Amino acid sequence: MAPHPQGDAFPLTRHSLVAAVRGPDAHERTRALDAITLAYWRPVYKYVRLRWRVEREDAEDFTQDFFARLLEKDFLDSYDPVKGRLRTFLRTCVDRMFMNQARDAHRQKRGGPAVHVSLDFEDAEHEIAAAAQGESPEDYFEKEWIRTVFALAVERLRAHCAAAGKLTQFKLFERYDLNLDDARPSYADLAAEFQLAGTDVTNYLAFARREFRRCVLNQLREMTGSEDEFRREAESLLGVAPE
Amino acid sequence: MTFLPDRVVARLRTELQLPDLSGTRYRVVKFLGRGGMGEVWLAEDTVLERSIALKILSPESGHAELASRLMREAVVLARLEHPGIVPVHDAGVLPDGRAFYCMKYVAGQTLDKHITGMDLHRRLQLLLRITEPLAFAHSRGIIHRDLKPGNVMVGPFGEVLILDWGLAKIHGNDPSVADHGPAQPARGGSAETETAHGAIMGTPGFMAPEQARGETSLIDHRADIFALGAIMAFMLRAPDPPARPLQAIYNKAMDAEISARYASVGEMAADIERNLQGLPVTAYRENLWERASRLAGRNRVAIVLVLAYLLMRILFVVFSRR
Amino acid sequence: MNKIVLGLILGGILGILDGLTSWFTPAVRNQLLGIVFGSTFKGLIAGVLIGVFARKVNSLPLGIVFGLAVGAFLAWIIAFMQHGYYFQIMLPGAMVGLIVGYATQRYGAAPQTQRV
Repeated sequence: MAPHPQGDAFPLTRHSLVAAVRGPDAHERTRALDAITLAYWRPVYKYVRLRWRVEREDAEDFTQDFFARLLEKDFLDSYDPVKGRLRTFLRTCVDRMFMNQARDAHRQKRGGPAVHVSLDFEDAEHEIAAAAQGESPEDYFEKEWIRTVFALAVERLRAHCAAAGKLTQFKLFERYDLNLDDARPSYADLAAEFQLAGTDVTNYLAFARREFRRCVLNQLREMTGSEDEFRREAESLLGVAPE
Repeated sequence: MTFLPDRVVARLRTELQLPDLSGTRYRVVKFLGRGGMGEVWLAEDTVLERSIALKILSPESGHAELASRLMREAVVLARLEHPGIVPVHDAGVLPDGRAFYCMKYVAGQTLDKHITGMDLHRRLQLLLRITEPLAFAHSRGIIHRDLKPGNVMVGPFGEVLILDWGLAKIHGNDPSVADHGPAQPARGGSAETETAHGAIMGTPGFMAPEQARGETSLIDHRADIFALGAIMAFMLRAPDPPARPLQAIYNKAMDAEISARYASVGEMAADIERNLQGLPVTAYRENLWERASRLAGRNRVAIVLVLAYLLMRILFVVFSRR
Repeated sequence: MNKIVLGLILGGILGILDGLTSWFTPAVRNQLLGIVFGSTFKGLIAGVLIGVFARKVNSLPLGIVFGLAVGAFLAWIIAFMQHGYYFQIMLPGAMVGLIVGYATQRYGAAPQTQRV
């Protein structure tokens, strides 16, 4: 699904995806569910693989099945933001559905994905291999959720910078803050590489980080069910633990 | 979608947690703590080359109401120029859009940690030092509303500062405060619009009953006196309960009936001072024995000298008869 | 009450008391009235001197030492005039001086500072 020109992957009339899913507009409901799928399918897939120790093919089927049923069965109607976080609710739904299917020994193999979002299981499978050992499945699900939030925010940022004619800012951010190496280039190196003044590197990176923060918060807002939940999640994600 | 490895996620998370001070004169040093609506960071003022504390609205607090409350806190602090109230140096909006204000960095201990191992006399003297900035604030029509040991800091030279005026209420008709306040008086003559009607704000255990019930129209400076009484009780109760006159002082301050409390911080301070000097306090009616004990305690040396003189005289008489 | 008046009153009272206790010494009982007058007068003089000192010098140890010295000295004069009873006269006299010295330092209103 191509990101929106303004940089938001899913410009909604409502802030929250959950609110959009429950809204009257069928088209918006579908788009909201697609966005939820995009945000949550990786954590769900990886969680199922590690928690329930199912084979890859079964996990793929289950993940597609889950999000298809999300669309059909109005799972989100029973979600109450006051009682807990959306991601916890979804994880619980995953567990429940898996246990029900295992009990009924009934797993429908669908002819093709009923969801509109492209699910790159190959990529996800490689990412599992890099996972840390010794975590509880719940912690792993949370970690993957955070990773997805940040990854989607990076895509938003990319689209936003492209639309605003600030691709250099994004590339600097990608080069420095998304650098895979522990030893990152210095600002002087970046200035030479991008043929910029040193102060420009500082300012461009500051701009990109500022926009990235905004993208993270916007992404988070969409992925939570209420303003209170959003604040709690933002505090958990962006707040600082006291020494 | 780009895959972000764990270390990149961790790095991004750390960077997001830091306030964006680009373009400002400040450089972040470390995180100090989290308050009700914001974070407090130790930073360096690169122009004046000194340490300062920055109070910044939390990243998720995008509400204009919270930003205006933070600014209001800065305005209140700026009007309270007193050695016992942390001074504000600057206020504004960071490049990332978050409201902030800059204040003096106080390196010290909060009251609860500072009084460990301290004797009663020193605790009472410390308590008197807390009353000074509070009385000053009240004289300027400002009520703190969140006094507690965690909001009192004792600096390295024994200076006492009252912190966190985020819940302060501008009360009364002091023109130097009310005229420039951000809101017009709403009801009862108080400029109380920063909290929703009936909203309960404060800390349990140190909050006056009328504050706990959300009866905002009843809250005046005596709510702070209640809190001061609670602080006094907190400071004096361990390891053993204090003498009855002291208990009477903090019980009077903490009376559930507002009119029964001390009318001012000054009155309460005067009673504490009287107790320190061995004089009777207004909050407690001594019986004859207690009065005699107090006088004897206050004049111990004189009594010993007179008794010694009388003993000497008696011995002279006894020996002269032999 | 200022320190000089306090010293005067206390010195006088202790002087009377001092004089009256000589009743317990049969040898001098017949001179009681004279002894009381003399002792009272000594107490008043000592009280004034010690009170003046307390007004000028704000120091408890020095006040006590000064009181002790003045009380002992005045008592010595009395004992010298009596040609005896040095111990019985000087010890109580020194103690009275000590008490007045302590009291004038500890109690009594300090002098008001001049307002310019």
